[in-house]
Amino acid sequence: MTTREVRRRAFEARIGRWLILVTYLSVTLLLTGVVLMIATGISPLDGGPVLDPATLIAGLASLDPAAFLWIGLMAVIATPVTRVIAAAVGFARTGEWMLVAAALGILATIIASIASVALTGGLFDPGA
Amino acid sequence: MIVGLLMIAGGAAAGIFGSLLGLGGGILIVPLLTIGFGLDLRAAVGVSLVCVIMTSSAAAGVYLERHVANLRLGMTLELFTAIGALIGGSIAFLLDERLLSVLFAGLLLYVAFSMARARVTTPAPGATTDTAAAGEPVAAPDDAVQAATTDPGALAVGRREAILAELSGSDYVVRNLGRGIVGSTGAGVVSALLGIGGGIIKVPLMHLAMGVPLRTAAATSNLMIGITAAASAVIYLLRGEIDPYVAGPTAIGVFLGATIGSRIAPRVNVRWLQLAFIVVLGVTAVQMLARAI
Repeated sequence: MTTREVRRRAFEARIGRWLILVTYLSVTLLLTGVVLMIATGISPLDGGPVLDPATLIAGLASLDPAAFLWIGLMAVIATPVTRVIAAAVGFARTGEWMLVAAALGILATIIASIASVALTGGLFDPGA
Repeated sequence: MIVGLLMIAGGAAAGIFGSLLGLGGGILIVPLLTIGFGLDLRAAVGVSLVCVIMTSSAAAGVYLERHVANLRLGMTLELFTAIGALIGGSIAFLLDERLLSVLFAGLLLYVAFSMARARVTTPAPGATTDTAAAGEPVAAPDDAVQAATTDPGALAVGRREAILAELSGSDYVVRNLGRGIVGSTGAGVVSALLGIGGGIIKVPLMHLAMGVPLRTAAATSNLMIGITAAASAVIYLLRGEIDPYVAGPTAIGVFLGATIGSRIAPRVNVRWLQLAFIVVLGVTAVQMLARAI
């Protein structure tokens, strides 16, 4: 195996460990939220609160189930995005510019997804 | 409390079935939430996308650590699945829910039919599967690069070959990147519209059209599913279509189910499970059609 191949494999293993770590972190947050939800007698069919980023940190301190669930859900969605960022940095270090471009294209698409909702007035607005 | 526990149990059942049969949980979560708990289809799709990301991230992490997934090929194709997901996530909010139900029923019938056909043509359990069937022996990547660079007149072809070689594995060469790009974009659209990972499109695409060995194709598809689903899940999240009280219990259930499924898989007779699953898919498809009418 060449030195380049050894480096590639070590890099992929690091990204793999990162994905596992963040997934378990997300599961812990969601599990805490679900336990709090059940303990406080909230039914899933009650209809959850709208996402309000400004209240999330305070919600964690007051053991609000919705705060744990929202942060857990956002962590789940962000997990593959962080993997793309890590990969882009790794490919840039090894000079693999085509793959850096692919990674930046993926990130641009995610930003376009957010922008498409913002432009149509749907940001944090249920039923928009 | 009972509903929450039922949702966890339902998610766990979807996770176990999905894990044992090699499907993402998405194809089961949407019918579970719409038919079982009376959710709107779009709300169910949003929750399903979150579950799909969570199970795929955990599995992709393991595949990358074990060097089964092809990170380079995955990242190249997921650019196009993400674009497809952006398109699908945007048009999902313009389409009538009844049309989405009909599309989902069609997907269920397609998977049931594919599974039934595979049961007929697949050898009995215990027979080995040739994972390199479509990725038949080809020139090694280094040979491809060398062949491409020794002919100065074939610079464009050489460039393409060099890219393909860069995306190839140590024991196979990727081919038909154009088909892969078109198919990946389509997989992204379907994923965002119906809340599935899209593996049922990506795995055959990579294996049969691009010459990637089946095991690598499945692992790479798993890697790609995360970004595909994230691109559209962001849209569902910001439009307020993801309910945290539904998504939390369901995602935890699916995660537990997928973990259990992967551990009991060696001891389960999958052929009988497939038969039961085909029946479940057929009945669910009829119920989804009934909802649409």
